[in-house]
Amino acid sequence: MEISIKGLNKNYYSEGKTIAALDQVDLIIPANRIFTLLGPSGCGKTTLLRCIVGLEMPDSGEIAIGGEVVFSTEKGIYVPPDRRGLGMVFQTYAIWPHMNVFDNVAYPLQTRNEPKDDIRRKVEKTLHFVQLDGFEKRPATKLSGGQQQRVALARALVAEPKVILFDEPLSNLDAKLREETRKELRAFLTELKITAVYVTHDRIEALSLSDTVAVMKSGRIVEMGTPREIYFDSDRRFVADFIGRANFIEGRVATVGEGETTVDSAIGAIACEKKINASPGAAVTVCIRPEFIRVLKADHNVGRNIFRGKVESLVFVGDAYEGEIRVGETLLIFRIEPTTAVREGEEIALHFDPRHCSILLN
Amino acid sequence: MQKTRMGMTPGLIAIVGFLTVCPVVMLILGSFSEGLNAFGTFTLSKYVKAYTDPAFAEILVNTAIFTIGSAIVSTVLALFLAYLNTRTNIPFKFMFRIISLIPMMVPHILFAVSWVLLLNPSNGMINLFLRQVFGWEGAALSIYTLQGMILVEGLLDLPIAYLVIAPAMSAFDVSLEESSKVCGASNLRTLMRVTLPVLRPAILAAATLVIVRSLASFAVPSVIGMPGRIYVLATHIYRVVATGYVTDYGMAAAVGMSALAASITLIFLYRHLTREGEKYVTISSRGYRPSVIDLKGARYPLFGIVALLSFVLIILPVLVLFYTSVVPYSMVPSAKAFAMMGWKHWIAVLKDPVSLLSLKNSLYLGVGGATLGMILSFFVAYVIVKVRTKASGFLESLSFLSFSFPGIVVGIGFMWFFVQTPLYATIWALLIGYIATYLPYGIRPLTSAFVQIHSNLEESSRVCGGGPLYTMRRIVIPLLVPGIVSGWILMATMFVRELSLSVVLSRPGTEVLAVQILRFAEDGLWGRLSALGIIMIFISTTLVVIASRIGAKLTKVDK
Ligand SMILES: Nc1ncnc2c1ncn2[C@@H]1O[C@H](COP(=O)(O)OP(=O)(O)O)[C@@H](O)[C@H]1O
Ligand SMILES: [Mg+2]
Repeated sequence: MEISIKGLNKNYYSEGKTIAALDQVDLIIPANRIFTLLGPSGCGKTTLLRCIVGLEMPDSGEIAIGGEVVFSTEKGIYVPPDRRGLGMVFQTYAIWPHMNVFDNVAYPLQTRNEPKDDIRRKVEKTLHFVQLDGFEKRPATKLSGGQQQRVALARALVAEPKVILFDEPLSNLDAKLREETRKELRAFLTELKITAVYVTHDRIEALSLSDTVAVMKSGRIVEMGTPREIYFDSDRRFVADFIGRANFIEGRVATVGEGETTVDSAIGAIACEKKINASPGAAVTVCIRPEFIRVLKADHNVGRNIFRGKVESLVFVGDAYEGEIRVGETLLIFRIEPTTAVREGEEIALHFDPRHCSILLN
Repeated sequence: MQKTRMGMTPGLIAIVGFLTVCPVVMLILGSFSEGLNAFGTFTLSKYVKAYTDPAFAEILVNTAIFTIGSAIVSTVLALFLAYLNTRTNIPFKFMFRIISLIPMMVPHILFAVSWVLLLNPSNGMINLFLRQVFGWEGAALSIYTLQGMILVEGLLDLPIAYLVIAPAMSAFDVSLEESSKVCGASNLRTLMRVTLPVLRPAILAAATLVIVRSLASFAVPSVIGMPGRIYVLATHIYRVVATGYVTDYGMAAAVGMSALAASITLIFLYRHLTREGEKYVTISSRGYRPSVIDLKGARYPLFGIVALLSFVLIILPVLVLFYTSVVPYSMVPSAKAFAMMGWKHWIAVLKDPVSLLSLKNSLYLGVGGATLGMILSFFVAYVIVKVRTKASGFLESLSFLSFSFPGIVVGIGFMWFFVQTPLYATIWALLIGYIATYLPYGIRPLTSAFVQIHSNLEESSRVCGGGPLYTMRRIVIPLLVPGIVSGWILMATMFVRELSLSVVLSRPGTEVLAVQILRFAEDGLWGRLSALGIIMIFISTTLVVIASRIGAKLTKVDK
C-alpha cells in the first residue's frame, strides 16, 4: 500500500525551547517496495515513523495509507494505532518480558479474537519463516539479541499487515550479526512483497537494503532516490557527505560543453561528465569518492584529469589501502587495492574518471 | 489522555503534601502555642521549659551515644558480612540474603523484648542460668544499660546498613586492589589502605541512615531503656505526653522539633553521600566479577560467626518468645520447665478483650491501610516515573520527605491536627498517620516497576491492535503486579507492627498490637506478651504468604 504524507509538522517543547522534529514533510512512500529513511540521529526519523503508526500526533498535515486517510488536521481525523493494522519493529524490540515466544507472536491475532487453531497455525508458520521453529515455549527473557529481533519481526508479520515499519532494528546487534541479519531481512522483505518503511542512520544498511532511500536532515526530507542515484548523483553536499566518504574540492565553472563541464580548482582543471545547470564563473564543489581515485606511476601523463602528488600516509585496512595524497595544498583521501605497490612518501600521478566526478552547487 | 495526566499531578501533590507537611506544620504551631489547641495564644514558654530542663542535657548525651553507638555496631557488622559475601569464598551464601531480609520477619519490639527476657537483671534467662550454675549473686549481666540498647538497636539496624554497603562492595573496582597488590601490599594492608577508603561514602551513608533510624527508634528505648531509667529523645517525648505526671503536648512538640530537624539534616547528608558513592561506582561498570579471596582454613569458622548472627537475629527471638509463652514464669529451660508447660498465657490473651481488639485493629489497619496506601502509591509512582515534569519532581521529593520523620514526632504533629477533627481517637487517625509515615515504602517498589515498563512495551501492544484497555489488562497490569505485591507486603507488615506513631495516636478503643505488647512489657506480663507476639509474627507471615500467592496468580493472566 502506498503511504502519502502531506505537509506534516511536529514540534516538541522541552525546557522552554521548541524543537521542530518534523518540518513540512511531503512524502510518497511507494507500495510494496523497501523504503528507507536515512539521516543523522536526531533528524526526526523516529518521529516520522511514530506519526505514521499513530503513536505520535502531528501538529498539522495529513497521512493516508493505501488511500485511507488515517490522520488529518484539516478533516479532524485521527485513527488510533490499534486500528491502523500496521506492523512495527521497535528499536528496543519491545518484547514483553512476562510472556513466552508463542504469546508474544500470537498477540496481534489474539487482539483480533481469531480462533485458537488459526492462531496456532499462523504463529507456527511465522516462526518457521523467521527460523525460530520450536521456540514457542521459550520465555522471552531467555532470548539472545538476534532472537529477540526475530521474535519482534515475527510479531510484526504474523497478522499479515500491508505495511511494516522498522526503527533501526539492527542497531542493537553486534557487527557480524548485523550484517547477516541485514541480508536475511532483505530476503524476507523481497519475498513478502509488502511495503516496508525502514529507519536507519547507517548508510550501508540504507544502500544495501532499500529500493528507495530518502535522506532527512533537521526534520526535512532533503533528497529521495534509488541507492545508486543517492550515492552517485546527489547534487547536495550534505547528502554526498552523509552517504559515504568523499573529497570535496572547491572551484569555479570554467567551460560548459556538450556532456562535459570543466571546473577550475586549486589542484587544476577538473573535467566532469555530470550535467549541471551552471554558467561559467559559478562557484561549485567537485565531489570525488576515494575509491574512484586511481594511483599511477609518477611519469604517467596521457589523458585528462591527471594530477601529480605525494603519498602522505598509507594504512593497510585488510581489504584495501587507505591513505592521503597531497596535491599542492590540497589533501585527498583515497582507497586502493591492497596489491598495488605504493609507498609512503612516494611521488605519484593520480587520475579521476570524469564519469565519477560530480558537481555540487554551493 | 495527556490532559488527565497533567490534572493528576496537582491533586496528588495536594494529598501527599497534606500527609507530609500537615504534621510538621501542626508540630511547629503546637510548639508555639498555649493549651491544647494549635491555634492558641503564641508563647515561647514551651521551648524555654523544654530546653532548660536540667535533665535535658543528659537526654541529649544519651541520644548521641545511643544513635552513634548503634551506627558503629551495625556498620561494622554490615561491612564484615558484605565483605565475606561479595569478596570471599565463604560457603552457603544464601544466608546473607536471609539476614538482609529479616526486618520483614521479626518486629522490633519483639526482638527487644526477647533480649529483655534473656538478660534482664532480675529474672533474665541467662542471668538465672549463671546464678544456678555458677552461683553468681545478683545480676551478672543487665540489658537495661546504654550498652544493651546499643547492642540490640545495632543488630536491628544491621540489615539496613547491609543493604547500603553490599551493593557498593560488589560494584567495587577490583583493579584498584590488584594494583595495590602488584605494588607489594599485603591483603590486610590493601583492605585498610585501598578498599575501605574507596568505600568510605557508602560506609558513611550506611552509618547516617542507621543514626536516622535509631533516632526514630522507639521499641528499644522504651522496652530496654525506660526500665533502666535511660531516656533518649523519643522516650523523653513519650514520657512528656503519655506517662501521667506532666502531660504537655506543647513541650513535646518543642522537643520533637529538634529531633525532626536532626533527622531531616541527616537525610540530606545521606542523599549527598549516596550520590558521592555512585561516583565511585561508575568507574567500574566494566562487568567483571570481583576476584574472590580464598579464606582457606578460616572458611568454616567465619561461616560459624555468620550462622551465629543469623541465629541470634532470627531464630533466637522467636524461640525465646515461644518458650516464654508456654512456661508459667521465667525459668531456665529444664526438665522441670518442660513438665510445667501449658497454654495458660495463650488462653489469657485470647480471652482478654483489649488484646483481641488490638488484634482486630492491627489486622484491619494492615490489610486496609496497605491497600489504600498502595492505591495512593500507584498514582504517585506513575506520575513520578511517567509524567516527568517539574511538578512531578516536586512530588517525588515531597513523598520521600516523610522517610526522615521520627514516628513519634509525626504522631505528635498529627495529634495536634486530629484533635480539631472528628477523626480524633478513631482508627482513621491511625490509618492516615500510617500511610503518611510509610508512603515511601509503597512508592519505591512501584517506581522501579514503572521504570521497568518501557513505553515501547505499551506502544507495541497498541500497534499490534490492542486497544488502551486491552493493553492495560495484558501488558501494564501483569508487569506491575510484582511491584504492587512487594509494596503491599512491605506496608502491611509495617502497619501490623507499627509502634512509635501508634503510642501517641492510639486511644482506648483503638489499641493496636504493638501498643498492647508495650503495655504488657510495662506491666511485666511476659507470658501474655510472648503469646500475643507470636500471634503478631504469625499474622505478618500469613499476610506475606497470601499476598505472594495472589501476586503469582495475577501475573499468569488468561489470554
Ligand atoms: N518526546 C520528546 N520530547 C522532546 N523532544 C523530543 C521528543 N522526541 C524527540 N524529540 C526531539 O525531536 C528530534 C527528533 O527526534 P527523533 O525523531 O527521535 O530523531 P531520530 O530518530 O532521527 O534520531 C530530536 O531533536 C529529539 O531530541
Ligand atoms: Mg530514532
